[in-house]
Amino acid sequence: MIRSRSIRPPGRLLPLILASTAVVLAGCSGEERFPDRPIMLICPWSAGGGTDTVSRKVAAMLEQDLGVPVNVVNATGGSGVTGHTRGALAPPDGHSITMITVELNMLHWRGLTNIGPDDFRPVMLLNQDAAALFVPADSPWGSISDVRAAVAEAPRSLKASGTAQGGIWHVSLAGWLDAEGLRADDVLWIPINGAGPSLDALMSGGIDMVCCSLPEASSLMEAGRVRCLGVMAEARIPDFPDVPTFGEQGSDWSMGGWRGLGLPLGVPEDRAELLVSAVDRVIRSEDYLGFMEHTGFNVSPAPPGEFREIMEQFDRQMGDILMGEAFQSVRRTRYGPMIFPIVILALLGASLAVLLLRGSLRRDPGAPRLDRAGLARMGLVVLFVVSYMALAGQVGYLLSASTLLLGMLLALGVRWPVALATSAALVPATYQIFAVGLRVPLPWGWLGW
Amino acid sequence: MDPAILEAFRQVLLDPMIWAAVLGAAVYGVFVGAVPGLTATMAMALLVPVTYWMPPLPALAAVVTMVACAIFSGDIPTILLRIPGTPASAAYADIGSGLSSRGKGDEALVTALVFSVAGGLFGAVVLIVLGSQLAQVGTLFSPAEHFWLYVLGLTCAVVVSKDAPLKGALAVLLGLLVSTVGLSAVHASARFTLGYPELYQGIGFIPAMIGLFGVSEVLKNLLTLEPGVPGPTSVADVSRVRVLHALPGSLRRLFRRPVSAFRSGSIGALIGMLPGAGADIASWVSLGVSSRSKPEPDTPDDEAALDRLSDATTANSSALAGAWIPALIFGIPGDSVTAIVIGVLMMKDLRPGPEIFEKQPIIVYGLYLIFILANLALLPIGLLAIKAGGLVLRAPRRILMPVILLFCVLGSYAINGSTFDIGVMLASGLAGFALERRGVPLGPVVLGIILGGPLEERLIQVLTSADGSAIAFIDRWPARILALIWLILLFVSLGRGRGPDAIPASAASREDSSDHSDGG
Repeated sequence: MIRSRSIRPPGRLLPLILASTAVVLAGCSGEERFPDRPIMLICPWSAGGGTDTVSRKVAAMLEQDLGVPVNVVNATGGSGVTGHTRGALAPPDGHSITMITVELNMLHWRGLTNIGPDDFRPVMLLNQDAAALFVPADSPWGSISDVRAAVAEAPRSLKASGTAQGGIWHVSLAGWLDAEGLRADDVLWIPINGAGPSLDALMSGGIDMVCCSLPEASSLMEAGRVRCLGVMAEARIPDFPDVPTFGEQGSDWSMGGWRGLGLPLGVPEDRAELLVSAVDRVIRSEDYLGFMEHTGFNVSPAPPGEFREIMEQFDRQMGDILMGEAFQSVRRTRYGPMIFPIVILALLGASLAVLLLRGSLRRDPGAPRLDRAGLARMGLVVLFVVSYMALAGQVGYLLSASTLLLGMLLALGVRWPVALATSAALVPATYQIFAVGLRVPLPWGWLGW
Repeated sequence: MDPAILEAFRQVLLDPMIWAAVLGAAVYGVFVGAVPGLTATMAMALLVPVTYWMPPLPALAAVVTMVACAIFSGDIPTILLRIPGTPASAAYADIGSGLSSRGKGDEALVTALVFSVAGGLFGAVVLIVLGSQLAQVGTLFSPAEHFWLYVLGLTCAVVVSKDAPLKGALAVLLGLLVSTVGLSAVHASARFTLGYPELYQGIGFIPAMIGLFGVSEVLKNLLTLEPGVPGPTSVADVSRVRVLHALPGSLRRLFRRPVSAFRSGSIGALIGMLPGAGADIASWVSLGVSSRSKPEPDTPDDEAALDRLSDATTANSSALAGAWIPALIFGIPGDSVTAIVIGVLMMKDLRPGPEIFEKQPIIVYGLYLIFILANLALLPIGLLAIKAGGLVLRAPRRILMPVILLFCVLGSYAINGSTFDIGVMLASGLAGFALERRGVPLGPVVLGIILGGPLEERLIQVLTSADGSAIAFIDRWPARILALIWLILLFVSLGRGRGPDAIPASAASREDSSDHSDGG
């Protein structure tokens, strides 16, 4: 994978650079092919979760189909706001795809972002997962009516989790309570980021029930540590035939999440079509279907048009639910976002004040003085980084990094043959190792190598 | 003996593909771990497509070896350049680079290697012998216990700031404050984002760490670079990185201090198996405990430093096997690397959980063997890597510094493919430079950034579940034990830290001009 480069004696390097540049530029002439460089698959959820698992599988298989690397980037945070925003605002050249999830239908109703389903061109719906309700194996409750009775008897005494405040599993549980004629906040929702940590808390006794999808808790179910009281689906899930639906237990509530792939708006139609057909081949392959079966994810693909309809339908439903009277409490958190920063700021201020009063924040006696020449050399660092940030996106890694490295070496008084040799050998070598070998994203630019 | 054990031995030891996987993954792991910004998690994600083509045991061999080697090789740039290759090394960046600047880089590195191997083997033994029992301990941890664990980790970071605990506290608090930038996980509301959408995902700790340690080190070096003089190499005096020479000494150290190695290994394994706490917290806590128990006051400084270094490296390597305990038994990963491992297992038709012990005992025993094998392979490959690291550092500083800067830029961009992270790196570098000139330690800042989010989450969770009552923090016995440990730690460190902070003796004239420019 890593092409070795022999280091020529200094002085003969300029021709080498010119020659390699020429080769690279020549390679650019046939620019018709798509995709001709690595594709980034943005996953709005963290590594190891359900969405990440599916993303990585799809990426690994798309890579074989398309013949270019497909890298998964976990852009996490803000209940999915970060990843979805980044995906919607990515350059529409077909080299960024996003794993969009049901939160896309919820975030804008909750006022967290303006990004909604209209900001993506749907590629393919991959799966839909119904919510399910789990309790510890030693819990006295055997059915959802037991839970309903317990909640009705002592509102706000039971604790549940599964995701962040206002996330899909929270809405699923609160919606069921509401449909049962209880208040949506009669069960305290502890905001725990993700099903895995929530199940942990369930087993330690920190909470009383967890609402999440079936595959996320399947290992614990098989271990006999948790019990599933019911799944909020229209019919039983084939992989979990023993789990009854909510409908069988006298409640007509069903709710769940979905995952799919989307492109930012404005991707040329031929490129989008090419990706759609590639994804289509992938999700029909035996390999993919086998994987999804082992991991317990259901497979319910839908082509772009149908996917758009499903998103729109979900969006209306979520709007009704989230904007409704019953859900005002779901959208609110009791302990405000500023509590923690204020505590930290107060402690910080106190320790800073003590340190200043004692005079112990003076310059360390061992630290050298800042003289003009030293400051100028330090300025080179700032100059290097700032110019790289400004240039690399446009010019590309190879040109900007080698120029800047050369400039900095020369400015530090390195003899020019050595400086030239260093930057000419190092920059392409790092490019080969990182971008080609390790699949680390590097800025592209003019050379488009 | 269980025939499955024999079969596992046969399959692991006689399969050339496993040996190839171990060797290849070791080299890959050493390289990735040594480059700041390439994390073990990321390396793991990059391995997934490769392991996809392998049978289960070689795939597991590659994964286990890669992580073990990456966590050790993070120590190489930490000790030689004072730039932590992985967050797990940030705890002892000062200790290691201090040794290195006193010409003991080789000893420090070989000690780190020997104790990493020992820690890794210890963790493997814990996994093999006690795995299923220990998994029960993990299930005792509700949000309140996690809260105390994080507080404990942060307090250890303060305790180990040797001369000035208050400056350590300041550093931790700064880190925590930085962690609140962006959308909070609990509330999903924007804080301190100043309207920049890039700040929504917060300040990543990897670019911040690269900046705080890497860029500030480059700045410091450039400040003192003598023009026109070829000059020695960077921070480290690497004129004599003699690895084999240092090996017997490190082995002797291991045999001289079996109790503390056992203690650090246990701390590592225990912390590693708790979801949400990994090698980074393990090395801080181990270091905190280690700095509390210094039996002989007349131990030379360098010897004491090597002892503390060995404790921390033992713990962070031991934590790796610990993370597998809940993963294998409940399918709940102890850290993000193991989370991806679970994905790999599932791709191989292996569903982690108790039934894996009954249905696929060969895989489980094979995995145990692989853990031993991986750590044994780390020893020779680590020695070679140390040697290679020493060679790289023979380059003159004026060449090395720009090259390191290039790697810092690469590393910060690599995390997310975002230019914004490069800006974060530069700003942290300038801030780190300014902080360090004022004697504020940088390691605790990194830990604060790492733990700030989870700490806040747990705080809000505990408050929510108790409807605001503070009793919730200590109303369960595991939480009470942890709170008690924390109180003891606090008292002991206060008892030691009495008296004013070390005030610079020569009240050198203050440079109030431009040395605290942390904008950008």
